[in-house]
Formats: sequence, structure tokens, C-alpha cells
Amino acid sequence: MKKEDTVKLISAEGFEFVVDKEAAMVSQTIHNMLTSPGSFAERQHGEVTFPEISTTILEKICQYFYWHLQFASGKETEFPIEPELTLELMMAANYLHT
Amino acid sequence: MSDQKKNFRLEEFKHREGIDPDKTWTMLEHAIHEIYNQNISGLSYEVLYRNAYNMVLHKFGDKLYSGLVETMTARLKEIARSLEATQGGSFLEEMNKKWNDHNKALKMIREIMMYMDRIYIPHAGKTPVDQLGLNLWRENVIYSNQISTRLLNALLELVYGERTGEVINRGLFRNITKMLMDLGPSVYGQEFETQFLLVSAEFYQAESQKLIECCACGDFLKIAESRMKQEIDRVSYYLDPMTEKKITNVVEKVMIENNLLILIHMDSGLVSMLCNDKYEDLGRMYKLFRRVANGLFKIYEVMTSHIKESGKQLVMDRDRLKDPVEFGVSEDDIEITLDKVMMLFRYLQEKDEFESYYKRHLAKRLLYGKTVSDDVERSFIVKLRTECGYQFTSKLEGMFTDMKTSRDTMQGFYTSHPKLRDGPTLTVQVLTAEVWPTQSIVTCNLPAEMSELCEKFQSYYLGMHMGRKLSWQTDMGTADLKATFGKGQKHQLNVSTYQMCVLMLFNNADRLSYKEIEQATKIPSSNLKSCLQSLALVKKRNVLRKEPMSKDVGEDDAFFVNDKFRSKLYKVKIGTVVAQKESEPEKLETRKRVEEDRKPLIEATIVRIMKSRKLLDHNNLVAEVTKQLQSRFLPNPTAVKKHIESLIEREFLERDARDRKMYRYLY
Repeated sequence: MKKEDTVKLISAEGFEFVVDKEAAMVSQTIHNMLTSPGSFAERQHGEVTFPEISTTILEKICQYFYWHLQFASGKETEFPIEPELTLELMMAANYLHT
Repeated sequence: MSDQKKNFRLEEFKHREGIDPDKTWTMLEHAIHEIYNQNISGLSYEVLYRNAYNMVLHKFGDKLYSGLVETMTARLKEIARSLEATQGGSFLEEMNKKWNDHNKALKMIREIMMYMDRIYIPHAGKTPVDQLGLNLWRENVIYSNQISTRLLNALLELVYGERTGEVINRGLFRNITKMLMDLGPSVYGQEFETQFLLVSAEFYQAESQKLIECCACGDFLKIAESRMKQEIDRVSYYLDPMTEKKITNVVEKVMIENNLLILIHMDSGLVSMLCNDKYEDLGRMYKLFRRVANGLFKIYEVMTSHIKESGKQLVMDRDRLKDPVEFGVSEDDIEITLDKVMMLFRYLQEKDEFESYYKRHLAKRLLYGKTVSDDVERSFIVKLRTECGYQFTSKLEGMFTDMKTSRDTMQGFYTSHPKLRDGPTLTVQVLTAEVWPTQSIVTCNLPAEMSELCEKFQSYYLGMHMGRKLSWQTDMGTADLKATFGKGQKHQLNVSTYQMCVLMLFNNADRLSYKEIEQATKIPSSNLKSCLQSLALVKKRNVLRKEPMSKDVGEDDAFFVNDKFRSKLYKVKIGTVVAQKESEPEKLETRKRVEEDRKPLIEATIVRIMKSRKLLDHNNLVAEVTKQLQSRFLPNPTAVKKHIESLIEREFLERDARDRKMYRYLY
């Protein structure tokens, strides 16, 4: 995987997830960060810190990104969500515009 | 994550940490300034987005929004000031640059405030960030008094420059146009277009005035055309497409419509173009004039009167009247002339009248042996046939056939009567009565030698063809006479049949009175007079002498052989004095005959149409009859109506019982 094609997502606890840009840009917010005409710090460094998203949630979100891509390309499977994560996950989704 | 989940209300849930709105806003405000300063590498999108997000989430959307408006307004005011301060020429460039910068900044601001755009603005009924940025630019930059006038003047100056041949920066202009359009079509209209059209009208007003004074019509039109094209190009290069119609209207109105009559009536105007075959100029005039109201109608008017005028001149021209078509000498020339004649022929409405005259002239040519060449005659008939169909020329072709058959008949006659070769020779042309133009039959007494021959031929011919009737057309035909005059000079005289009859009388007499001649020949008096006139009163052809020597032939005159007759030529052709032109009554006669010939044609056409249609209303029937007959002539609707009525009387047709306008075919 080339470095330019990936982006590093960092959770509140400092845990780093390296994912494909294509996957990360499922989030409209991340999409804007990485494509904005002026180059913000995120675009220069290829990493985004989310001080308000916990590792568990961010991990779930990354799984969702990939699941979403598969789903969009026609592979219709269930995406399991543990009930205890629901609320926080929704908050993050709202924030990430996913 | 699906739409349903997104719409879930989160109100009961309070965020982990509260936020300090003032501190957050100060931070965002700083970022906005940095964005305008194009100094963003130190900014984190996530931080800005999260702060804006949190402000909205914690119900400080109002503060965020009004803060944004305030900050942006301040920035734009500053920009306006710096624009006002720019010197001269770089104004438009500077404006364009600032506009681009503003747009770039606006895009970034919109992105970090995406959450506000998405959630707060629709909810609070505010203007979205994009539009807000445009509005603020319009209010603070464009509508600033100084900038507004300066912008307009700069743009108009560029246009003027280009119209007078300068090269301008079209790309820059295009960008400014686009800016004005982005700000709203009304901005483009107010700030530029309205004035642009006014100034253009003035410009072209002045230019037309100058051109009218010094240019020929053709040149004026050329310039107008190129101006038109320039304006269209200008629109496509750097103005909004909606301006095209308006600016071309201005050019049309100012250059063409306002000068319409002047242009047409100039010395070098329409008539001169028509006379000098200036097809290109005429084409240009048509193309330009059709764009304005009444333009083509004016052309039409002037052209009509010109055509009528020159037509009248042609008709009044005496030389032309005598010989309307100049025939060339060589075969090729004749072909070309005939083609031209056919061109004219196509415009004839009453082709049957033409046919009637043509037939008469052709008959004369054939019978008097005056045709230049049989091939040419036939080639013209072929042309007529191609144009009008077989029916039209069948009679003409019949005339040729008669001529040929007659030649064969004569050959047969002399082979069967070998003894006759010694005496006078008779050449008979047997004409089919209905094919040749009908002539009232006037007989005269032929000299004994001739009538003997004629009887022989008659019995020979009737013996060959049972059940036919021959009658002699003594008013046609020619004769060659060998004459010996007083001092022994011999001449061969080419004369008409009547003249021959008269001259033969002088074989047995030296002096004959008019009465005696009339009695002996039985030639109708009008023909006899012209015949005697041509024998006695035409210089160098006067084989007879008249007493008294007056200019007209009177009933008491006496005639002698002119022994002093002299001619350098052995063969003398004695013409007949005939009126060159048809007299009025003759014209009426021809006209009547043509009308007469039309009757069966119209009736046949009505019957043919009704036979196939069975039921048809009056108007359609008349239209159809006209259509079918128009290759021959234009039937008069009243005439058609009369024939319909006559057909009803004769029970070919009947009127429909319910609808009196409908006709029904009865057989």
C-alpha cells in the first residue's frame, strides 16, 4: 500500500488506524479534510486526530468504512453493532457526516 | 448511519464537556483571517471543523453565523478599499485576483463550517455560506459607489478599444463577466449590460452616419455584416450568451432598420445592385434586411417596381419588339438561345396561347420553306415536350409528319405520272386539318395549267386514300415563275400563290384593270390589294406597272407588265406586303380561339377528377382543376364554375341533396 493512498486516523487515546483514503472518504468530513483546495495540516501530514472519538468507536468506524465499500459494490451483508456502542457511534457518525 | 439513525434526536444527551463559546469563536475568527491571508498550513481542519461543530451542537449557531458575517464583511470592506486605491489599468486585474482569492477562501470556510451549513442554516432559515459569500461581495465590493462606476467604465473602455481595433485581454473580461453572472444575472444586467447596449447604440449610430455619407451601399452592408459578426464573436468570447440577441438587435436597429430606406434608395442601392448583377451584395442585403421588421417587404416593393419598370421598358423598346430574341448564328448559339427561351417559357402562365402563336408561325415557316434547320425546329419541340408533356406538342409534331408524308406523296405522284415532268411542277403539301392552325378557306381561280394539275393530283390522292376530302389553301403556298421582260432579260420570280395567279394572267394580256383581275382570279379584295401592291409598288420588285402611279391600289387602277424591270439578281423574291403585327381584331380572334380550345380541356379535367373522387366540394374541385391545368394555362375560376354547371345540365354531375356545395359524379 502506497503512503499517498492511505491516511492515519488517530483516536482520543492515541491509537492509530491506517486505512485506505478511499475507505476513509466514506466520511464526508474526512473527504473534505483531504480534498480541500487549501492544504490544511491533515492533508500535508496524511493523518487526522479525533480527540473526541474513543479507540473502540474509531475501530468500529473503520470497519464500517470497509463494509460500506463492499455494500456499495453489491455485497450485501449485515453490519453488526453492539447495543452498548450505539449511542456513541451515532454521535461520531453525525460528526463525521457518514 | 442510515438516514433513519441520523435523524435520531440527541437532545437528552449532553456532551461530555461544555464549551466556551467566546474562546471557540475567537479561535475560529482567527482562522478565517488566516484563510483570507492564505496562511493555512498551520491550521488543522479537524480542529476547526470540530469547534464549529461543537458551537452548533451546543446551540451557539447564531453566534457562529453572525460572527462569520461580521468577519467576512470586514475583510471585504478592506478589499474594497484596496481596490479603490489601485491605480489605472490594473484595476480589472486586481479585481479579478481579489475575486478569485475570495472564492477560494469562501470554499474553505464553507468546508470547515460544513456542519453549520448542513444543520444550523436550513433550521434557522439563513443564507447558505456559498450564497452568503457572493452576497457580501456584491454588497461590499461591487456596490461600493466608486468601484461600480470604475468597473463599468473599465469594461466599456475595453469594448470600445476592441471595436476600434485594439487587442484586449479577453480572458480577463470573460472572468469579470463570469463574476457578475455569479453574483446574479440582474447584477450583470445592472452593472454592465444595460449601459453596454446604450453605449453600443451610440457607437453604431455615429458609425452609420459616417458610413452613409461616404460609402456605397454594398460597402456599408459589408461593414454592417462584419460588425454583426464581431458582436456575436464578442458575446461568445467574453459576454454572457443572453446578451447576443440584445446586442445584435441594437446593431440591426441602429445600422439597418434606421437606415432602411436610405440604403435601398441610394445611388448604389438595390436597383443598381440588380442592374449590375451584384449577387454578393444582394445576398448580403437580403440576409441583413430579413433581420429587421419590414426589411424584406421594402426590398420586395422596390424590386417589384423595378422589375415592372424594366419590363415596361423592354416592351416599349421598338427594336426589341421587332425581334425579341436575338438569334445566334452557329448551332451552339441557337441551342443556348433556345434554352433561354425555354426559361422564359416556364414563366408563361398561358402556355396554350403561346402554343397557338407558335403553331401559326411554325406553319408559315414550314409551308414557305423558311425554316433555318429542321434539326433546330425539332430540338425546340423536344424541349417543349419535356417541359409540358406529349399532349402539348402532339399537334406540332403532327405538322412535321404531314410535311414528310407530303414529300413521299409527291414523289409517288410524279412516278405515276411521268409525262407531267415537262410542264409546270406542282408540289402539294397535304395537311391534316385539325393539326394545323385552321384558316378560313378562301378559294381563288387558279390558272388553267395549274388547276389541271391540281385535279390530277386530287384524283391521284383520293385514289390512294379512300374517304378523304381535299380542299385547297390557295392563300398559302409559293410559286417560282420564269419571266421574260421587254428587252429579253430573264428572271425567276419567287411569288405567293395569289401573286402567281395574277402574273399568269399577263401571259395573255398587256393591260388589265383591277376589276378584270378580280373577276378572273376571284381573290378576295383585301388579299388582292396587298398582292397587287407588292407586285407594283415595291421598289426593285415592281414587275408590274400601275396607272395612275399612286401609292395605294384603287379599284379603278390598271396594271401593265413593267418592261423596264431590272434586277442584278436572276432570282427575284417578291414578298407579300403583310402587316407584321397582328391587328387588334386578329388578336381578339386568336384569344377567342384559345378560349375555345380551353373549353374541352377544362371539362375533360373536371370529369376526370370527379370520376376518380366521386364526391367533391366546389372549392376543392376548382383548386384541383387549376392544379392539373396549370402546366398549360391558368383557368379562370368563373369559367370553371360555368363548365361545372354545364356538366350538371348535361347530367355528368349532380349537386348533393344535403350539401349544395358538394358535387357527385353520375356515371
